[in-house]
Amino acid sequence: MRSNSGLWQKLVLLGVLALIGTVLSILSREFLTVTNLINVTRQVAFVVITGSAVTLLMISGNFDLSIGSILGLSGMFFAYFIPLGLPLGVSLAAATLVGTAIGLLNGFLVVTLRIPSIIATLGTMYAARGLALVITGGNSIHLGLGTNFTVLGRGLVGPLPITLLLTVGILLLFYFFETRTILGRYSYAIGGNRRTALLSGVNVNATTTLLYVLVGTLAGFSGVLMASRLGVGQPMVGQGFEFDVIVAVILGGTSLEGGEGSVIGMLIGAFIVGFIANGLNLLGIHSFYQSILKGAVLVGAVLLDRVLKERLRG
Amino acid sequence: MNGDILDIRGLGKKYPGVEALKEVSLTIRGDSVHCVVGENGAGKSTFIKILTRAEERTGGTILFKGREFRPRSIREAMNLGISTLFQELNVVDQLTVEQNLLLGREDTLLGVIRRPDRNRRLYQILKDFAPDIPLHRRVGELSFAEKQVIEIVKAVAAEASLLIMDEPTAALSQKEAGRLFELIRGLKQQHITVIYISHILDDIFAIGDYVTVFRDGAIIGTARVADIDRPALIRMMIGKTVAEGYVPRKVDRQEVGLEVEGLCTAKLREVSFRLHRGEILGFYGLRGAGKSEIAQALYGLDKILAGSIRLGGRPVRFAIPRDGLRRGVSLVPEERLAEGLILKLPLRPNVSISNPGKISRLGVVNGRRERAAVERYVRELSIKVTGIEQRAGTLSGGNQQKVVIAKCLNADATVLLMDEPSRGIDVGAKEEIHGLIRDLAAQGAGVIIFSSEYQEILNLCDRILLVADGRIIKELSNSEASAEELLHAVTQTKRLKP
Ligand SMILES: Nc1ncnc2c1ncn2[C@@H]1O[C@H](COP(=O)(O)OP(=O)(O)OP(=O)(O)O)[C@@H](O)[C@H]1O
Ligand SMILES: [Mg+2]
Repeated sequence: MRSNSGLWQKLVLLGVLALIGTVLSILSREFLTVTNLINVTRQVAFVVITGSAVTLLMISGNFDLSIGSILGLSGMFFAYFIPLGLPLGVSLAAATLVGTAIGLLNGFLVVTLRIPSIIATLGTMYAARGLALVITGGNSIHLGLGTNFTVLGRGLVGPLPITLLLTVGILLLFYFFETRTILGRYSYAIGGNRRTALLSGVNVNATTTLLYVLVGTLAGFSGVLMASRLGVGQPMVGQGFEFDVIVAVILGGTSLEGGEGSVIGMLIGAFIVGFIANGLNLLGIHSFYQSILKGAVLVGAVLLDRVLKERLRG
Repeated sequence: MNGDILDIRGLGKKYPGVEALKEVSLTIRGDSVHCVVGENGAGKSTFIKILTRAEERTGGTILFKGREFRPRSIREAMNLGISTLFQELNVVDQLTVEQNLLLGREDTLLGVIRRPDRNRRLYQILKDFAPDIPLHRRVGELSFAEKQVIEIVKAVAAEASLLIMDEPTAALSQKEAGRLFELIRGLKQQHITVIYISHILDDIFAIGDYVTVFRDGAIIGTARVADIDRPALIRMMIGKTVAEGYVPRKVDRQEVGLEVEGLCTAKLREVSFRLHRGEILGFYGLRGAGKSEIAQALYGLDKILAGSIRLGGRPVRFAIPRDGLRRGVSLVPEERLAEGLILKLPLRPNVSISNPGKISRLGVVNGRRERAAVERYVRELSIKVTGIEQRAGTLSGGNQQKVVIAKCLNADATVLLMDEPSRGIDVGAKEEIHGLIRDLAAQGAGVIIFSSEYQEILNLCDRILLVADGRIIKELSNSEASAEELLHAVTQTKRLKP
């Protein structure tokens, strides 16, 4: 929902992003180059695509840990279908639908069987990863993929990467969902007070299931894009991806209890995560330390968020 | 304590966009019951929040027992001797009465009692106030009124010299309220001063020594209760007199709106009745009699074990409230905070959510239409807000209740179920809302009022059904009903129960 404190919060986040950017461009000459920035954007794109749906899901007070595994599984299936002789479009759609199916399963576990979302999606996170390994026997698929396989991930329209255009499109779509549609309204309502939402005529179960399905679908689509970019189907791709997305969403001001948050905030959050990861790489800092820093950023961001909210609400 | 216990000078509180208190000056005499009344949003709760240090003042001084009062936390205010009985009680349902009383007291260490004499005093206080509450009963099994008693005992034991009560009888039955009043009189004898906030003016005449009227964040005046009568007090509160009382209406009992036959749920036994179009029907009963359960069963919230519901002649059964809303049934739930509002969100979506069809097409919201719909209700119900983007959590209690009513009206229903609709609403606004309900009925809607406040039932309802123990025990027309009759009937069956 648009409100003054929300606007301030985004401005502060943008400020943090600008600060990190400034520091990095001072520390590393490579940071502020076009090639590098495109590179960062490419990395961030996957987080933003899946994160758009995850933002709505978390606004509704739900949670999904399985997105990294879905990304791996769908990407793997994309590369698995093509050598079977399926056309590119069909493979793409089928691989994405695998994500949809797992989203539906998540919805079923959480809504119908009433398993807490963290537990349910932890379960599907392991199961989906396991499935990817079983199907490929633990190996990567790179033979017989053909040249079109990499078009989505590496191709350009004019000067612009296809991935980038898709990302912007999906982001705008979910911004629209969030701010202008009944689906967005219902997500906030369910996260804000589930019981009130139910009594106000919200179909809580159907809406929640739909949100899990959207998340699964977009995680699956991210997986397809990722496989296309890498030019290979790897069952282990996307490990830790869920945390990048969740960190971005939380950095963007979405509270874990639900009822507040925004897609635009998530976008800024995703760039903060992306800048930090990229900057640390450029500076040659070992990934072990990067992990520590990511953790610190997350905790710091939640603290900052709380302080800001208390101040702005008076 | 003789003389003034509290001396407040020029107290101010500013929120962004509102000045909730403007230069409030007031003295409270020791050993008195000092009532505070005023319209919704007048600043009463804000005043209390500052005294308990739940909120920080933006100006003014407070002298408590002659000394400057500047606590830095709620806890410090409590230690200085100011305790509060909030509307949301602070008891832990899972613990026993005894454990609740001892909770947070320093004289137990890891469950080992270090100073048994002080605890003995605590038990003595409980015995004095409520000899029938057993120490080992789980608090969750107690009634709301009994939980209140536990909170009062805690305050007395904490040696509070000022006890603040914010609308304590709003959720009590007549009889329970009577017991609370006795308890308050007992407090006076123990030299505990009480500040008492209520919209129920009868309370004030029952126990008040002084009454102070707030309006728009300022004090209009203070009077001795003995020197003022009800009309004069209302005039002080809202600047005009209101006509309270039943307005006889012609109900044409031709068309049945809702027909319920032999309805049974876990709590209800064989509930049958008819609601005609254009009729205002009242369900009266004590707290816990099963009124809310009837509303919930009709609204698709409770599992129906037997019986039938017909709407406009056709049988219906709602799996979830959404189904009911789509068929023209809407509800004002009993608990506004838990079931009526989404506190984090602005007023706008809180009102518009009940009727997506009115503000959207193909799932896309039309912002202009939404604002127009919501602004209409803000006007009609005189909801006091800085604008429709103000968060519901920052509205005053009565204005929050108005938002819940606005949401119910916004559904454009033909059958309105209203469970304790005017809880926390001031006298003037109550009459306005009653007027709106009468208008809706005149336009053909059927309205059911579920209330434990007999005055509201008598003022509003054409026909009254008395509820006790999950069943309907009697039907009266408005002309047959009187306050004595209602009270007598519902308490009678209570006693018949083994
Ligand atoms: N946190 C807040 N932010 C902004 N405005 C607030 C906040 N808290 C209270 N207000 C405003 O202050 C005014 C006074 O509110 P208060 O709760 O004191 O009224 P009240 O007299 O207790 O009314 P009621 O009888 O309805 O309970 C209201 O206009 C309310 O909207
Ligand atoms: Mg209040």
